[in-house]
Amino acid sequence: MIRVITAALHALDLSLLQCASLMVPGVLRAEWRREWRSELWHVRRASAPPSGATFGAECDIVAFCLGAYQDAWCLRRHAQRNKPAASLATAPFRGSAAQCLLMLVAVFVTTYALALFQPEVRMATHSSRSAARSGLILIQVQDQEGPTKAVIPFERYRNWSLHSHLDFDGFAFYRMSREEVTAGAEPPSRWRVALSSANLFALLGFPIQLMGNGEISEPGLPQMILSYTLWKNEFGGNPGIVGSLLRIGRRQVKIVGVAADRVWKLPGQPDAWLLEPDLAILGAGAGHIIAHLTRQGRAEMWADRVNITVYNPDHSEQDYLGTSISEHTPTPWDLYRFAVLLALLALPAVTSVSLSEYSVSSHRPPWPRRLARGMYLGGKLTLLLPIAYYASLDCAYWHASQHSPASEYAQLFSTFVICLFGFRWAILDQRQRCPVCLKRVAHPAQVGLASRTFLAWNGTELICTGGHTLLHVPSLPTSWFGAQRWLYLDSSWEFLFAGTDAG
Amino acid sequence: MGLGASSDPKLSHTAAMILQAIHAGYIYGFSVMEMTGLPSGTVYPAMRRLERDDLIRSHWEKQSIADAEQRPPRKYYRLTAAGKSTLDASRKRYPLLERLIPSEEAKSV
Repeated sequence: MIRVITAALHALDLSLLQCASLMVPGVLRAEWRREWRSELWHVRRASAPPSGATFGAECDIVAFCLGAYQDAWCLRRHAQRNKPAASLATAPFRGSAAQCLLMLVAVFVTTYALALFQPEVRMATHSSRSAARSGLILIQVQDQEGPTKAVIPFERYRNWSLHSHLDFDGFAFYRMSREEVTAGAEPPSRWRVALSSANLFALLGFPIQLMGNGEISEPGLPQMILSYTLWKNEFGGNPGIVGSLLRIGRRQVKIVGVAADRVWKLPGQPDAWLLEPDLAILGAGAGHIIAHLTRQGRAEMWADRVNITVYNPDHSEQDYLGTSISEHTPTPWDLYRFAVLLALLALPAVTSVSLSEYSVSSHRPPWPRRLARGMYLGGKLTLLLPIAYYASLDCAYWHASQHSPASEYAQLFSTFVICLFGFRWAILDQRQRCPVCLKRVAHPAQVGLASRTFLAWNGTELICTGGHTLLHVPSLPTSWFGAQRWLYLDSSWEFLFAGTDAG
Repeated sequence: MGLGASSDPKLSHTAAMILQAIHAGYIYGFSVMEMTGLPSGTVYPAMRRLERDDLIRSHWEKQSIADAEQRPPRKYYRLTAAGKSTLDASRKRYPLLERLIPSEEAKSV
């Protein structure tokens, strides 16, 4: 027992040293640990009696270990004091255009990586890439009370889909059913399953997420697509579930993907869709028929509706009503474009969009330098746009389980804010970049007196550390000094910049 | 024309004690602690500063010696030439230093 306590106390002492070592600069850490561990061994041998641990001895040992924190802190402080000298080597890089662009690239990579690791963002962006098909209608009986009631028999769908029509070029069928589903060794649970014709998703043009290449066209087992809500609730959002087998009643089915709930605007709220060969659901009874209109069929539509008259073999007629389901919902991409447009419109309200290229002398930098400056601004704006897109998606879907009005508002707002202030920063940064070397001007100095605004110039003077330019920014814009001005420094200024490249 | 400036660094009493202890043959951290009665949080940082200022120098004991005695190897410290001259200057400043920590030669006498 005493041996166990001694070992535990020793482990505690070692962990104290281990924690302290984290403060020690990396290059010194290994040797520092070695010395303190060695010293601890001798302290323990000298303090603790051979028979076992005593309270007093352990207090002494812990006090010794706590001293390691002071030692580690001392080393760290010493290393930090030496840092500025070491960082002088990186001085030319500091404040340069390359550093700024690299930072933007780093932010872009971070936001993109965050978006990549959020399944919700992947689903939202995937659905935005798949354009909703137009010309889709839900066919209902003319005098039917509501669209949720499934009254069209499967035979009717079968009959229509086997014949060619001038107004339609595709039909799909589904019917809602409550099914007992067993996943592995789990107890069975009851799901609302849409038993659908195999072409349902292809006809609707709905995106299926997490689907492997060719999964949907793979023959064999009936294929099941899970709703996003069910996937999150029942399977914890595990992407590895795709490809696994489930049992519905006595049949085995294969999960081939996940569909976002928001895309489904049709009657019924299925937990999953079971895509089956037509014959398998022949005896399923009444359901819903979705049809895709040809160009000619779309011309027949009036106010998103079209009347369909079916002539039966017994010369009787039956009227059906086709209601458009091609409702346009804004995708993340639509929201993003709208927010960027709003930000561009609002930009003049938060900053002047002029770059203030005004120069007090006739000297102008050569055109390659001017081109580089323009490209630098273009590069910043080009990087800001994807950053705003992915960062807004990260914000919108950070807590949202899936696409919702709240996530739409969050995306719209965050895109607007990031773009507005991002563009503002890009312009302000551009104004303070030396037109010759693109480094930020530095060392601001207040010149003149504010009380003499109308008698003499007063404002801030900044200098390019490369010795190329001086920037004069007026404190109060006047009719004779409204915008900032660049003063290009000639060779007579070179003595101020010893050791720097003034060219 | 001299202004009385000395090139010898002025040591604190604690640093001088540690330097004296090393000179007296207490050549590893724990023995310096035991001799001076200073806590570990004072002794080790002070020894780092003395080493940084080139007044002492450290080296690791040979592994074979430590293995023979079945213990981890120790890090030993010894005075440099600059350390010895600084210690001499410190003894003049702190006359009781040698009485507090007598050196090996003094002990043998």
